[in-house]
Amino acid sequence: MTPERFVHLADAYGADLKHWPTAEREDARALIERGDIAAINALQQAAWLDQKLDSHRAATPDPVLIRNVVASAFDAERTSFWSRYADWLSRIGFIGAGIAGIAAGMLVVSLSLPLANAPDLLPSVFDQGDAELILSVDAEESDQ
Amino acid sequence: MPASPVQGHGGPVIGPRHAILKEPDPDVELLARIGNNEPEAVKEMVSRKLPRLLALASRLLGDAEEARDVAQESFLRIWKNAGNWRSGQARFDTWLHRVTLNLCYDRLRSRKEQLSGDDRQQIESVDSSPSPEEQLQAQAHSDQMASALAALPDRQREAIVLQYYQELSNIEAAAVMEISVDALESLLSRARRNLRSYLAESDLAETDGKVEPGRGKR
Repeated sequence: MTPERFVHLADAYGADLKHWPTAEREDARALIERGDIAAINALQQAAWLDQKLDSHRAATPDPVLIRNVVASAFDAERTSFWSRYADWLSRIGFIGAGIAGIAAGMLVVSLSLPLANAPDLLPSVFDQGDAELILSVDAEESDQ
Repeated sequence: MPASPVQGHGGPVIGPRHAILKEPDPDVELLARIGNNEPEAVKEMVSRKLPRLLALASRLLGDAEEARDVAQESFLRIWKNAGNWRSGQARFDTWLHRVTLNLCYDRLRSRKEQLSGDDRQQIESVDSSPSPEEQLQAQAHSDQMASALAALPDRQREAIVLQYYQELSNIEAAAVMEISVDALESLLSRARRNLRSYLAESDLAETDGKVEPGRGKR
């Protein structure tokens, strides 16, 4: 590793080699052990900033947040269950609606078809003889 | 299902060039247990990821309350996807960082819509609660660093938070940010340069009794 490469990496990753790319660490250690001035200076400059970075305290989880997050897993599970149940219900509803539609369609079709053998099937108040009688009575009344 | 390739919240897919799984993903087994509704697995996931996610969000947003919201939203994504997760090209932790980062983006975007240019106010410190006397100095240093981080351009701040604080490898951090390792190193170098400049100016201002240093350069 050249001192320039070392300086470049220290400038990007800081003074702690654990943050460096794994493949570069061994060569970097060798350069430090050789006491390269440019490398040592770069490390010192990076270490100053690392110390400042380490002083920053990030938010940490409090018990309420932990409890809420854990509870949200089971809420999500319940929601997931009911959403699956809702899906199932909606599918059942869809199927039901389909069946109702088919039934309605069949009814409409059956009502609109011509009843070819209706006389055989449907009882009539008048049979053929009654019709002839009525027509003849009407004719006699007309003549009078 | 998000598993692989990784897709963040509203973000583009992380493709094969970012494939980083050389070792087994340590979270996969835990995810399967969560998928089987094991309460202990849920608690273990919270214990394993919540501090990291909260730290990530608080450093990116500089606001503890918003960070809590983001952490909770991130966990909702975990619960939603745990049962269907399968090993693939990206680690679960990388996907999770991407999700959290995108949730932070959303909030930063809406914040920028409210603030503009020079009207931007100094973002409040992560923890503004009163500190015990013996912690005042540490709190002051933390506040100074929070201000320095807040002054960085967003992408530089993301790079330094992912690489330094979250301790992601350079390949993982680059994958989360959807950039090359070279681009990541460039962002890191600029971030560290800006931080040094800001902090030196801040120290000088403190010595001279001034109030606030200049902001970081882009």
